[in-house]
Amino acid sequence: MSDPTDMQPDDMLAMDFALGALDRPARKSAEARLRSDPAFRARVEGWQALLAPLDAETETVLPPGSVWAGVLDEIEPQRLSSPGPTTQSETKGLWHNLAFWRGLGIAGPALAAVALVAVNPTAPPVVTAPSDDQLAAAAPAQLSTSLAGADGAPLLAATWDPLRGTVVLTPVAERDDPDRDVELWVIEGDKPPRSLGIIEIATPNAHAISSQVVSGLQPGSVLAISIEPIGGSPTGLPTGPVVATGKLSAV
Amino acid sequence: MSSAAELARLLAKASEGDTAAFRDFYDRTSAKLFGVILRILPERGEAEDVLQDVYVTIWRKAAEFDSSRASPITWTATIARNRAIDRLRAKGSRPTSPLEDAGLVEDCAPLADVQIDTARGAASVHAALAMLDPRQAAAIRSCYFEGLTYEELAAREGVPVGTLKSWVRRGIMRMRAAMGAAEGHGEHA
Repeated sequence: MSDPTDMQPDDMLAMDFALGALDRPARKSAEARLRSDPAFRARVEGWQALLAPLDAETETVLPPGSVWAGVLDEIEPQRLSSPGPTTQSETKGLWHNLAFWRGLGIAGPALAAVALVAVNPTAPPVVTAPSDDQLAAAAPAQLSTSLAGADGAPLLAATWDPLRGTVVLTPVAERDDPDRDVELWVIEGDKPPRSLGIIEIATPNAHAISSQVVSGLQPGSVLAISIEPIGGSPTGLPTGPVVATGKLSAV
Repeated sequence: MSSAAELARLLAKASEGDTAAFRDFYDRTSAKLFGVILRILPERGEAEDVLQDVYVTIWRKAAEFDSSRASPITWTATIARNRAIDRLRAKGSRPTSPLEDAGLVEDCAPLADVQIDTARGAASVHAALAMLDPRQAAAIRSCYFEGLTYEELAAREGVPVGTLKSWVRRGIMRMRAAMGAAEGHGEHA
């Protein structure tokens, strides 16, 4: 009666993901689906809701105070820029520097510029704005940008479609590092970078990101891609090399 | 008393930048999430790292929380499980204890405030687990609580992966059937 073969493959995959039983490649692939496929996400959430009451039996364990201190270090902007007694001795570097992101966000009057940022671990970043030849429309139907790597080769085309409420990312080059995830960020005005999640750019398929994640993107918002540990940035801000950025412009 | 509504309210305030509300949310939920993470990542320092990451993530994603899709504690526990499993997968496999050791846990932890919301669901899910073959139930528990993959569990049990998969999936389908359609997600069979 409840033979698993009666299940739709998507439902089976959703169950496996919610259970936590998938190996790493299958899990990453399912995560990409979660971000781009609301129907699949709803299936996963259904299974999560079914299984979640199991957590009630898990013994609660009081974490040490250092955990909250670490959280606070990450979420309070003034602590990021102060050299106070933070336990986060790692160099936070450029990507925690709000002034840098602010500068990037307002660099140049032309909203349509595509900015390429090349970063290597030892040199300061080189920021260029190669093209100022378009002006943003006041009420754009779509916003798009191309995100290029340090060598100038385009990695991704990104289009924000406000009607469908999605960002569609179309990889134009194959790139695969199995030990790293690729995380997409948006920088709006002078706010800190906001994660749009892990993206899969190893395969040349378009991926959509849901409207809830990207609501309200404006021309001039900067999309950036950083290379992060598996699972995404552990801090909530970019930690790895930023391989590409692009400013959204009207099309 | 941390009702779902109260936790949702704290999350909403956190999404507006209210760190005091977020601290309150942390105080009410962190022992639960730490417990969830520790079952997947028993090494304490590593579990603490993940817990910190999880709360930074919750802070940044607080505005995305949608009470029509999940309860606050389910939403946050799911983030914690996913982060812990990601970390576990990134490390590769690890030694695991035999399935016989993973039998039904009799000593339920004392209910924390946040668990009251799910207490009724827990009774139901445990009743559903209890009616399964004990090894089938233990396999489901090993995947869910320890983050084991089908492949790891099949190797540990000495059964083909396909057999184990259908065993576990069949068990969960039976659990869903036993728990009725109350969860409200789609029936596909």
